[in-house]
Amino acid sequence: MTRLATAWAIFQGLLIEALPFLLLGVTIAGLARWMVPQSAWVRRLPRNPLLAPIVGALLGFALPACECGNVPVARRLLASGAPLGTGFGFLFAAPVLNPIVLASTWAAFPDKTWLLWARPAGAFAIALALSALLGLIPESRLLQAALLEERRLSQPLSSLGLLERRTGMVGVGPARPERQSQTTALAPHELLSHSIREFLSLLTLLVLGSALAAVVQTWLPRSWLLALGSAPTLSVLALMLLALVVSVCSSVDAFLALGFAAQVTPGALLAFLLLGPVVDLKLAGLFTVLLTPRAIAITSLAASLMVLLIGQWVNLIQI
Amino acid sequence: MRSLRHLRRSAVLPPLVLTLWGWVLVWSSLSSRLDLLLNAAFHPVVVIAGVVLMLLGLLQLRLLGRRRAGVAPLVWLLSAGVALLILVLPPEPSFSDLAASRPDSLPAAPSLSFFLPPEQRTLTEWVRLLRSQPDPELHAGDPVRISGFVLDRPGEPLQLARLTVRCCLADATPAGLPVDWPEEANPQPDQWFSIEGTMIVQERNGVPVSVVKPNRMTLIPRPDRPLEP
Repeated sequence: MTRLATAWAIFQGLLIEALPFLLLGVTIAGLARWMVPQSAWVRRLPRNPLLAPIVGALLGFALPACECGNVPVARRLLASGAPLGTGFGFLFAAPVLNPIVLASTWAAFPDKTWLLWARPAGAFAIALALSALLGLIPESRLLQAALLEERRLSQPLSSLGLLERRTGMVGVGPARPERQSQTTALAPHELLSHSIREFLSLLTLLVLGSALAAVVQTWLPRSWLLALGSAPTLSVLALMLLALVVSVCSSVDAFLALGFAAQVTPGALLAFLLLGPVVDLKLAGLFTVLLTPRAIAITSLAASLMVLLIGQWVNLIQI
Repeated sequence: MRSLRHLRRSAVLPPLVLTLWGWVLVWSSLSSRLDLLLNAAFHPVVVIAGVVLMLLGLLQLRLLGRRRAGVAPLVWLLSAGVALLILVLPPEPSFSDLAASRPDSLPAAPSLSFFLPPEQRTLTEWVRLLRSQPDPELHAGDPVRISGFVLDRPGEPLQLARLTVRCCLADATPAGLPVDWPEEANPQPDQWFSIEGTMIVQERNGVPVSVVKPNRMTLIPRPDRPLEP
């Protein structure tokens, strides 16, 4: 019973701390939809497989939000017809490549200068690799059904069949950009209603994720994981597991890492700071508004593998 | 069943659920529950988010006439249920249980700090000092005035401890001091004590360590702000 009460308190802490960031993300996504006509700016984004994720990753500097806030923004990008690479580049890299997270990493580790470039560089590399990998999967098996449908409506008919779009008129040519932006622009009250629905849907998933994270971390003794701190490979794996379980926001995880930085290998420390912003239990539910379950599994596995390799490599060269 | 379907079709449901969650955030702050859950730096952000959610919910209620109502997903009702549960069941974490499974890896002070005279040091400051100057002889005889909760780690003597939190309870890290509990004292996990005494040197597991020897021990209620930054 005592443990249940503790799990309940951790759940409330995780949820209440993440809620403002989720609101910020939905607000940014809503404002982007309202202020900038969709097709106008999305069409200017580069579609090159390498350039697209780079642009997405760099968008993090313009839209600083941690990983919970990034999900609605990434969803909006993809729904507006942005290149897949840009959406995924933003989703996976922006939680680290943004001013708030870089500043907090610097504040927590002013004496570990290698971490200040290794963290953004690692996040960038992971985002590029995940974007390239997910780009190999057909959109219909990659994106969640509702998102796919919304995205189809934003894509020009010249690149899609009517059957794929599931709406439109036979014999009508591709819509002109001006007309399309007019039809997709929402009135303020519609935008408010849409944003509220989006927030409530994401909130439900955040509640589930926070509950899962709270239960697992209450019953999994953290000292077991840190006891493996000095073994080169096991320490990286242990800290990756810790990042999955703890699920704190990327804007503050560096301060948490500071607590055990002295006990673990440098590779394990970097692995903790790289994996948490991409995959964790709290995010598991939120990702279902973007990706199919299979794509989520592939993302989690690929991200974990890359982080393990980066962590191992850092331990090998012993910065 | 029919009333449930009616409720889900009702246009007022989404703004009401939103307002409810806004109230959860505002109430968590008003009722000082946030002091138990989050680092103080996040409190204003939570309050602002709560007020914004409530305002958006109320605005949407006013605009209701202009829009059609869709069917709300069933999970929104569950989310509203969780919000009500949070309002009804306040957080009552066992600090001892929380700290027992976590490593004693206290983060450095959040800002540049110097060490105050012994009798003015908090428990956390004592732990930080002992970490940077571990020789127990340096501190022997120093006066101690600290408060904290009783931490029960399996296989270890009871300590007096505090929790430091940088973000929320999920990252709470314990800072504990060994205490030479008096014979007549019967400390129970999670009880809060204020202790006045001196720092002595005791051998524990064959190693000399700094231990608090209480001269006066008072059972106190949990402080309003039990978490340290």
